[in-house]
Amino acid sequence: MMDELELLKKDWQKREAQHPQLTFEDIHKMIWKKSSSIVKWILIISILEFTLPHLLYLLPSTQAGFDVYEKLGMKNFIIILSVVQYVIIFYFIYQFYRRYKEISVLDSAKNLMRKIIRTRKTVKFYIIFSLSLILFSFLAFAFAIYLSDDLSAILGSMDQEAIEKITIDKLKRSIILGIIIGGIVFTALIGGVYFLLYGRLLRKLKKNYKELKTLEV
Amino acid sequence: MNKELEHQFVTELQNNQNIVHKVCTLYTNDRDAHNDLFQEITIQLWKAYPKFRSESKFSTWMYRVALNTAITLYRKSKRSIQTQDYESVIFKIKADEYDETEEQQLKLMYNAVKQLGDIDKALVFLYLEDKNYTEIAETIGITEVNARVKMNRIKTKLRTILNP
Repeated sequence: MMDELELLKKDWQKREAQHPQLTFEDIHKMIWKKSSSIVKWILIISILEFTLPHLLYLLPSTQAGFDVYEKLGMKNFIIILSVVQYVIIFYFIYQFYRRYKEISVLDSAKNLMRKIIRTRKTVKFYIIFSLSLILFSFLAFAFAIYLSDDLSAILGSMDQEAIEKITIDKLKRSIILGIIIGGIVFTALIGGVYFLLYGRLLRKLKKNYKELKTLEV
Repeated sequence: MNKELEHQFVTELQNNQNIVHKVCTLYTNDRDAHNDLFQEITIQLWKAYPKFRSESKFSTWMYRVALNTAITLYRKSKRSIQTQDYESVIFKIKADEYDETEEQQLKLMYNAVKQLGDIDKALVFLYLEDKNYTEIAETIGITEVNARVKMNRIKTKLRTILNP
């Protein structure tokens, strides 16, 4: 085998002239083209992940949701939660930016992979955090209904006669159950879709990185 | 100043373009993908060029950027369809230069190398470019001992591909 690889080496070095040679103009044109590297994709996708959920707040239906919170006496709770949420989000964005800046094509192959994975991990933790927050909000909402005596806030549009037919307790119980189940299904669905896409983006990179890591053991 | 840098870079790359071509040949299977990867490597080289210090050779510096792009940064564009034609063009051996068995042997060897994984290809590439193990280890980011171990495993792997 050794000889064959040596043979290949000799041949390889003779092969120099066989490639189609690009002119100065060809190369000059190329340097102004847009990169489509994985690092650029990660930046674009991550920015979307950081901003998209916040655009939801601009929708009228979400605004109406805030009124319900107010009627349920959850207003202060929501304000505190939002403050905590934004502090954590800004921490994530800062962390992401710092790690993103560290990625350099001049690093060794292994370090480059490690830094990309680490940068992406920041976003992964951010998503886990967001999903937990969504689930937590659902649960808090259910708990607030449990404590609340006045159900008109959420039942505003429902027919009064229909409500009277079933006991309030029963209704309360089914609403709470509905919210909890809905919350779990919603969180699991978004999480599932997200991690499927996330896994695809870095699959090759992770495989190569693992190969280098296992060498060390 | 920028124009000067641009001119300097393009000239250097033009003179050393074979390194990039060889990386592209190893990591892609058709002409479209080859050109696509060549372009991405060029962009990455140009972006990193201001950080290039002339104490190292331009070509040495290129190996790292080109391989990093091929292994890690490059995302295959959808339009690249796998074809075998291009491969046979690149690896066509001139009949008058080699005897029949050697030609056949080389062709099989090239095909075997093409079947290796991304990391293995990088090691073989640097080996074929006559880099020593210190340089190979530094470029990949592993220890010299591990680079040797890995290279031995690759040789075994190639042997298995050639003699199944």
